[in-house]
Amino acid sequence: MTLAAPSTIGRFVLRTFLWLPPCFAGWYLGAQHVAPVLGAAARVLVELFRSGILSSLERQGQVLIFVTTIQVHPAPDQVGVLLVEVNPLLYTYGLPFFVALMLGARAKWAKILAGAAVLVPFQAWGIAFDFLAQIVRTGAGVSAQAGLLGWRTEFVALAYQVGSLIFPALAPVALWVAFNRPLFGALIGARAPAMGHHAGTVR
Amino acid sequence: MARFFTLFVVILLALFAVELTPPAQSAVVIPWTDALALISARLVTVFDPHVVAFGQTLQSTRNGFAISIEAGCNGIEAALILIAAMLAFPAPWKHRALGILAGLAAVQALNIVRVVSLFYIGQWNLEAFEWAHLYLWQALIMLDALIVWLLWIRTLPSAAYRPAEAEPRSSRAP
Repeated sequence: MTLAAPSTIGRFVLRTFLWLPPCFAGWYLGAQHVAPVLGAAARVLVELFRSGILSSLERQGQVLIFVTTIQVHPAPDQVGVLLVEVNPLLYTYGLPFFVALMLGARAKWAKILAGAAVLVPFQAWGIAFDFLAQIVRTGAGVSAQAGLLGWRTEFVALAYQVGSLIFPALAPVALWVAFNRPLFGALIGARAPAMGHHAGTVR
Repeated sequence: MARFFTLFVVILLALFAVELTPPAQSAVVIPWTDALALISARLVTVFDPHVVAFGQTLQSTRNGFAISIEAGCNGIEAALILIAAMLAFPAPWKHRALGILAGLAAVQALNIVRVVSLFYIGQWNLEAFEWAHLYLWQALIMLDALIVWLLWIRTLPSAAYRPAEAEPRSSRAP
């Protein structure tokens, strides 16, 4: 086992660390402007999975409120519709992480913007299945009204876990690797021919 | 690259599905999470005797503030991602085994730092705790896993890659 000098990795990590605070600050401050886009994308996913359970989508600050068609009875003589709140920040913190990784790699802004767009479906996945998981957790009656029974319930549970535990952190890193193959090759010392033969130089 | 990504996704999904099963939860996830709370408490009591751990919970006996270590906070998902990345990358099995052991140690060591830091951040300011817990530390743990993976690849001997193990140069993945 030979150990190559990790100085290029060190410089990349240092730049990424320095970019993290401003990227997280920018993400948090701009979150309410991005929320409608994510909400719309999540709504498409929900409709694809189970159509007819959403009547509208509202926003309160950074929080998305899914207005459903599902009837609930808060009291014996009262009828209302179920509202489900989702905090999109839980599924979008990968965006500032991705931007910091890309800036750490001195990537071009066009690539960063393209990557941010590619992240949207993954973030929407998390939001959509958070919404659906909340419906399932509300109770069997509500879940039945929404048509979330049998395999759909199992799928919602798994998709929610993947959307909350795997996608938010992994998607930015996977995209960073895919978008920076020359740098990636240089960082790993071109150890794998298929992944590193485009190796370039790292400043 | 395409072969690596495909293998990585398949292995990760398999590991993640296994992790969610009741036997894996009772045999690995819950015991490890309990151990994580205990290790964190032991470390903290070196400089702060007012801390106790029970089950997955770490609590201050001074002000009653407590944190419970849940799924997503025990470092297991980051560890699974790292394991999948090392298994999917073409490397000799000996290097894979060493890399996985070192990687698990690195991820869990930083995760203990995360738990301890969150325990004190929460006693200082709940809003800062939420921020650090839900967003910042998630990214830092993943960055840790990425660094470990990159360093691990750099330790691999070039001779380990025979032409048969690599993708043909003409079939570049997008």
